[in-house]
Amino acid sequence: MSGLILNATICAAIMLSAFAFALTLYRNKPKCKDQSTPSMVALIDFWVLIALSFLFVCVRVIAAFYGSVEVDRVCYYIASVPFAFLPVPIVFFIVYVATGDKVASWAMSLLFSIFGIAYLTFLYTSGVVGPEVTYWATIFSIDSEIAITVYMAGLFIVPTAMIFVLLGITLIRKISRRRRYHIALVLVAISLVFDFILVDMVAVQDIMQVAARLFILSGVVLAFLAYYPPDILQDRLSIRKVLDAEPDAEEVDE
Amino acid sequence: MSEIDISLEGEVAMYFQSLGINNGPGDLQYRLIIRVLAENEGHVTMFSDIRAYTDQIADRGSVGSKLKVVFLMSGLVEKVHRGGYVITDKGLAAARFIEKSTTFYRKAMQIDGIIERMP
Repeated sequence: MSGLILNATICAAIMLSAFAFALTLYRNKPKCKDQSTPSMVALIDFWVLIALSFLFVCVRVIAAFYGSVEVDRVCYYIASVPFAFLPVPIVFFIVYVATGDKVASWAMSLLFSIFGIAYLTFLYTSGVVGPEVTYWATIFSIDSEIAITVYMAGLFIVPTAMIFVLLGITLIRKISRRRRYHIALVLVAISLVFDFILVDMVAVQDIMQVAARLFILSGVVLAFLAYYPPDILQDRLSIRKVLDAEPDAEEVDE
Repeated sequence: MSEIDISLEGEVAMYFQSLGINNGPGDLQYRLIIRVLAENEGHVTMFSDIRAYTDQIADRGSVGSKLKVVFLMSGLVEKVHRGGYVITDKGLAAARFIEKSTTFYRKAMQIDGIIERMP
């Protein structure tokens, strides 16, 4: 059963790194311009929800390791709550960044909150089948076709499509390398985390669940790199911010 | 003739001036004159038609001078009688370019907004 311990370690790593990233963003929030503050708050909320989700998933996996089915089941239900509302801050973030319209962003977030509530209602009323505890993972199957449809179509496909549209809009325009790197990596990281959470939730094979969680962890690392690129990466991609450049001798003469 | 939005034209001209482009798309008088002439295509544009827009931003002397020095000398308009002008094909090309510059401005503002709002 050491596979379960590895699984729990990955979950703990996701939880800690997502929480640390959210905390770092929160500390940097005062440096934000007024216009980017709402999107920053949404981004912090997103990473906090990821951390909360994986806190309970981690407890679940540890409970499965010790054979406690009831704790596993209760933690699955608790973890479903932050999972269900994960698209809310993302939709706010995407709509706000794309349009700058706070009212439209709130309206879309509200719509996705309703989707989340609908998913939870179907999930709690229909119940889950399992757990099926294997060497690598503990898997529950959702016993409601409608819940799975709402989850996949409403909660994940639409926000993912929004992320790619925003990515397309920003990448086809001529902007500085540094900005392009930052925007692309932030959106790719969010998309990676978001999509592999979907894979994690609908996974029917244990190894698929572990692989999905490894990709989620790499998504969090990518998000860190988007905000805090290491020097070597900045030099390699030529995205270093030039500060206090010495004026050329010729320029001084002119 | 459809209404020409002077404040939008002013914004676009200011934007191009901020890029160091002071003539053509960055010149509000030029923008308004070419827009009025293009709107009147196929008809004679009277100087008073142009002044209906330019009087809010410039005196008649400088507008008249611009018409002579830039528009007539470059062949963007033809003078058909005293105070009456007709836009040429070359002038219509200039008007299309000015129209495109407004689209460019809108797209640039959109992308600038996205970058500003990205945390």
